[in-house]
Amino acid sequence: MILGLDVGGTQTDTVLIDGGQVVVANKTPTSQDLLETLREAIEKVLDIVDPASVDRMAFSTTLATNAIVQDDLEDTGMIVSAGPGIDPQSHEVGPSYHVVDGCLDHQGFEALPLRKESVMHAASRIREKGISLVGVVSKFSVRNPAHEFQATNWIEDLFAHIAQGHKVSGTLNFPRRITTTYLNAALHNVHANFTDALTQILKEKSLFSPKYLLKPDGGTIVLDESATSPASMAQSGPAAGVMGALALDSCAGTTLVLDVGGTTTDMSVVLDGAPLLSPSGIRIGPFQTLIRSLLTHSMGIGGDSEVRVDKENTFRIGPFRKGTPAALGGPAPTPTDAMIALGLLKIGNRNTAVNQMKDLGKIMGLDTVSTARKILKLTAKSIADSSEAFVHEINAQPVYTIHEVLQDQKIEPTSAIIMGGPAPHLVDYLEAALGIPCRVPDHFEVANAVGAAVARVTCALTLQADTSRGFVVIPEANIQNRIGSGFKLEDAILLGKETLEKRAVTVGALRGKFDITVTEKQIFNMIRGYSMAGRNIRLKMSLTPGLIQEWRTRDDA
Amino acid sequence: MTLKAGRRTGLVFFPAFDWAISPTHPEREERLLYTMDQVQEEGLLDVKGIVEYKVRPATYSDIQKAHICVPDEAAVTTESHLISAGGCLVAADAVMKGEVESAFALVRPPGHHAMKVVHGNRGFCNINIEAVMIEYIREKYGIRKVAIVDTDCHHGDGTQDIYWHDPNTLFISIHQDGRTLYPGSGFPHEDGGPNAKGTTVNIPLPPETGEKGFLYVMERLVMPLLDQFKPELIINSAGQDNHFNDPITNMNFSARGYAQLNALLKPDIAVLEGGYAVEDALPYVNVGIIMAMAGMDTSFVKEPNYDTDYRPQSPLVTRKIEQISEKIEEKFLKKRKKNSEFTEGDIVERTRDIFYDTDNISERQHEKIRSCSRCAGVLSTVSTSSLGQHILAVQIPKGACKPCRDQGIEWFREGGNGAYTHLYLQDRDREIFERI
Repeated sequence: MILGLDVGGTQTDTVLIDGGQVVVANKTPTSQDLLETLREAIEKVLDIVDPASVDRMAFSTTLATNAIVQDDLEDTGMIVSAGPGIDPQSHEVGPSYHVVDGCLDHQGFEALPLRKESVMHAASRIREKGISLVGVVSKFSVRNPAHEFQATNWIEDLFAHIAQGHKVSGTLNFPRRITTTYLNAALHNVHANFTDALTQILKEKSLFSPKYLLKPDGGTIVLDESATSPASMAQSGPAAGVMGALALDSCAGTTLVLDVGGTTTDMSVVLDGAPLLSPSGIRIGPFQTLIRSLLTHSMGIGGDSEVRVDKENTFRIGPFRKGTPAALGGPAPTPTDAMIALGLLKIGNRNTAVNQMKDLGKIMGLDTVSTARKILKLTAKSIADSSEAFVHEINAQPVYTIHEVLQDQKIEPTSAIIMGGPAPHLVDYLEAALGIPCRVPDHFEVANAVGAAVARVTCALTLQADTSRGFVVIPEANIQNRIGSGFKLEDAILLGKETLEKRAVTVGALRGKFDITVTEKQIFNMIRGYSMAGRNIRLKMSLTPGLIQEWRTRDDA
Repeated sequence: MTLKAGRRTGLVFFPAFDWAISPTHPEREERLLYTMDQVQEEGLLDVKGIVEYKVRPATYSDIQKAHICVPDEAAVTTESHLISAGGCLVAADAVMKGEVESAFALVRPPGHHAMKVVHGNRGFCNINIEAVMIEYIREKYGIRKVAIVDTDCHHGDGTQDIYWHDPNTLFISIHQDGRTLYPGSGFPHEDGGPNAKGTTVNIPLPPETGEKGFLYVMERLVMPLLDQFKPELIINSAGQDNHFNDPITNMNFSARGYAQLNALLKPDIAVLEGGYAVEDALPYVNVGIIMAMAGMDTSFVKEPNYDTDYRPQSPLVTRKIEQISEKIEEKFLKKRKKNSEFTEGDIVERTRDIFYDTDNISERQHEKIRSCSRCAGVLSTVSTSSLGQHILAVQIPKGACKPCRDQGIEWFREGGNGAYTHLYLQDRDREIFERI
């Protein structure tokens, strides 16, 4: 049996899955204390099943997101070396940020050696502040991690934990590398404490099966391996929803996934069962990071959005949420009140909802039913407009080859999946507004927990080989090997695959056949003067988000 | 925490990672690879106010507004040329619609050696991407007066040719003296056709011109010329081969110098032209230009080898630059002749030989233009190429007066006697392009 748990802003969803079926679905209010919430949710489930029958557990938590948004980050020092470009001081983050001498160029050649005195001076300034966590980052370290290694060597006895920039991601983006490395260091202890406490709770409840955490890219990582990059577990909620949609519906064709919540609606696109990934990293609070994530967009309209009449005498929905719906004691009418007034939802005080609709409709001379319907129609219209803009933006992403310009593959959703509380009551309105078939899957109310439960392991790597410099580098896997002039694309692909498979097993994938996708494959002849000086090979490969085998076999049956 | 641009700036990248003139040619797949790396590593695309746009291909009809392609567009262009020109159109739209204050099209292949009549590739260029863009802007947004400042190390002879007869386009080229570098032209006496005297300005600079010299001519000549002309739009043909690391030129400019030049010029649209120090110059120059356009601090943009390899400008070079500047100032700013030396209605003729170095084509051109004070004047060009083409092209300019229009129609009719392999009529006001 698989236990899936998703901690949301207001509700924590728990599911138990057996033989590819959701057998138990539960909701627990999310409290301030994350561990208490987890304990309570787990206990609820264990009332029903025997812990020994659980053979896999997966969690999507708000730990990292909360720590970042509530500014509970631990003091962390940064040692950064840059080179030509933007003033590195403008990337300052944390209470003790130091730019040191040293420079690598865009190909990883050392333009200026890392100066030891400069690094040691920065280290002692950080120590003076009583800080024990450090991030070490150099510009272009993903081309050559040597300076980060060197700095780490010099200072490792002085600090409790050192996070290195090149391990974050092979993607080029120095400011984001600095931020992400900072977050990894600053979350290190918070994450370790959480992991220990969770392990303790699970032990108490006699739950011993493998434990996974969900990441914003829709993949999982085994709990014990998550400590190296705690920031990469932040903001997994939207990904849980998308993976849930994928699990509960086959998502054939081009599917728009809409998760209508109380305050916001999350949207994403799944292409023939493969969710789209964001080209840049996720943004958490004020931090732009290199953390891989699914391409999702959150818009400010949900079931609890405020409905008002504006100066032009038309209804306005959102973007604010004033509180719970009026029928549940809230201060303002909402789309949920419209559903209650129409008798679609049987919660709260229906009279209040009806009166609210009456008041809103009065100005326009509409009766209660017409007002409520109009509000739902408008809600659906706003969501549809926003989805259209979202899809338009995906299609406007730049491409850099003739091949891609001429191919000009446009994404056009052929159907939509609607999830979240108001889904069944909005689906017809959304179908009319979007102009494509819309459906609500079974168990849509616990889709996030299902998504967490059945998402498989993901991991990604970036390979760059430069035969003129004589190195192949895979920063995420800490690999920097010498190569000869004969190193070819096939050699690079082979090395990349081996490394990725090894990495996948480490982070919790089961041995066997891996679904490896090469997302980028480029090879350039390097010409100096008029003759060939080498080859520059670039690969990006990944285990893309998908569902674990146990769940997929259900589909085959 | 997020950096913010002082000016909203649009970027259009088209590195054409799958196109080269030939495998080892300077104009090859690798050319913008390291520039893209540097731009991405800097995180410039995350800067608030810097907006990246997706390219689209230009159409043949866009090209016909600037060129006479012989025998036709398909024969002398590839997809890459269309996309490179299209990238400029995207940049133009972004600026003209007010989405950004300025834009930079980092596209390849380049275009400033491509002349009005195109038989093939000259100096790595097939179609003039700036000219295609300018004519698109004129057509779509009703702009009339445009200034082009070409800062490529090579004389922008193609752009000069296209706008030679156009009094509404000020073309200024700053380049290494033609006696020492391809294409060998670009002297101050080349100053525009009979109806457009003084709207072509060439500023040849001696080899070894440094930061000081470039900024000197910008301040003493270029900025006053722009003040005098009062363009509605300023375009920078941003070639980057004046760099001290460039392998095929002899100048001594730097990334920071390019950034300063750009900050001074404040072009509405910059278009990448040449520049073949793909590893040691382009990444830094492009980052410098983008940051300058976006109003960011460029004081940290410095080549890793600047301190060891940059050579300050010698006093001898400084003196030469001052002398040439004085002559140009005299001719174009102080003693500017306003009246044409020809009588209204005169037909002025010239004959030239043009060589296409990349494609090894020779062309002989015979031009006739009607001297006119009311419009840019109707133009007839007979062009004969070593590929066996013998064509007549008649161009009736935007805002053509009646006598010029009538003359143009007459020339075109006369051409229909079977003497030519192809006949072309470009009538900009009536949006007609005919090919027979």
